[in-house]
Amino acid sequence: MSELKDAESPEIQTDFDIHSPDIADTVYDVYAEMRGKCPVAHSSHYGGHWVATKYDNIQEVLKNPTVFSSESVNVPGTIGQDGPMIPIEVDPPDHGIYRKLINPLFSPKRMAALEPQIRDIANELIDEMLENKQVDFIQAFAKEFPSRVFLALMGWNLEDSAQFNHWADTIVLGEPGASEERSTEVRMAAAMEVYAYFGEMIDERAESGDAEDITQILINGTFEDRELTQFEVLNILFLFLIGGLHTVQGQLAHSVIYLAEHPEVRKQLVDDPGLVPTAVEEMLRWESAVCPARVVKEDYVLDGVQLKAGDKILIPFGAANHDTSVYPDADVVDLTRDPNPHLAFGAGNHRCVGSHLARLELRVAFEELHRRIPDYRLDPDNPPERHLSQVKGVVSLPLFLGESI
Amino acid sequence: MSQASIDRTICKGHGRCYMLAPAVFDADDEGFGVVIDEATTPGDVAALERAVNNCPERAIAFASSAATH
Repeated sequence: MSELKDAESPEIQTDFDIHSPDIADTVYDVYAEMRGKCPVAHSSHYGGHWVATKYDNIQEVLKNPTVFSSESVNVPGTIGQDGPMIPIEVDPPDHGIYRKLINPLFSPKRMAALEPQIRDIANELIDEMLENKQVDFIQAFAKEFPSRVFLALMGWNLEDSAQFNHWADTIVLGEPGASEERSTEVRMAAAMEVYAYFGEMIDERAESGDAEDITQILINGTFEDRELTQFEVLNILFLFLIGGLHTVQGQLAHSVIYLAEHPEVRKQLVDDPGLVPTAVEEMLRWESAVCPARVVKEDYVLDGVQLKAGDKILIPFGAANHDTSVYPDADVVDLTRDPNPHLAFGAGNHRCVGSHLARLELRVAFEELHRRIPDYRLDPDNPPERHLSQVKGVVSLPLFLGESI
Repeated sequence: MSQASIDRTICKGHGRCYMLAPAVFDADDEGFGVVIDEATTPGDVAALERAVNNCPERAIAFASSAATH
């Protein structure tokens, strides 16, 4: 048996920085290199942490919440939340009690009832886009679409969507290029505003009180036999904001970049909308936005590497989904790919609670965009600007409509 | 003919099964998969096999009866 490696072993050290703008365009190559040399690598950034890049290892972490706690899922440790984000930063058994309350709110059947409204929102935005020959897809669609859907779902004012996007961007990205301290500062300031807004919404609803939207259900929600506290409701809503906006934004934008650059693939979607469901799964695999962390609770050997209690480990879902031992042609986009057991929504207890909503949003957006705008292309003079962070995304995406390469 | 089963301790409600094989699986009120019928036609059996292979939790098993072989 070969000797265990540990945090000091020179051959598994990496300078991987999940917030570095320098690798936003090349992160899958970076993951592939790490997977080849040291699939469980050690980075010195943010006080030192591990990075796993193999599908099987990431799944092993996700399925073992006793060893790999999600009590803190961010690197560095805070994005401005006041207390644990619920339910993602809660471990079993409490986690399961919260999920029993929240799962039905995002169930496939409840989401299916929203489809006409989601389709209307998509078409309103496309109407506005089509008034121009060139748009920034991020501002014109990718941001607005998930935030309007979120507000509709919550029963809140759709006009607050710009404010929501600003908060979500700030909390996810901090202040790009600034110091870690400065980024934490702006995140915390944005989070304070978010909590104040949520507080107002809760107070309003507590007074009027007869709606059947998610806000009302949460206010009336219970944890076993007691009512949820306002603190709990706030930290559930905070997670909805972080989980529901930037993720879909990035997924839409990455998909549109690929499809703009590959007109022959786009044409498949235009010609056969029946391909959309598998296309959505494939784009989720190919660009998986989310890279959470876990906290190691007891000494554990992962793929020959000794992790110690108290360590933190990053598990980029995009790295799992480009593992050539599961996907031999991982870097090829195949809209009919089967099987495709990707981990874009994670796995184990914390499987993304909004995954059914996200799929519906992506399916409707893919269908409507390609029905109404079969041709689009990038602007070679203004290429898209991507960003990394724990939710990979796109800052700007200038797009010519009605033209193809 | 194939009879599917879902290990409820492993299923985490991804929903791939009832999307791929709606004749065999449905969603419960929380979004977890439930088996609603046997796969009888070749098309349903193929869909069931896709569901098995696309499940990120590997929570689905199925047994084929000899009758169709």
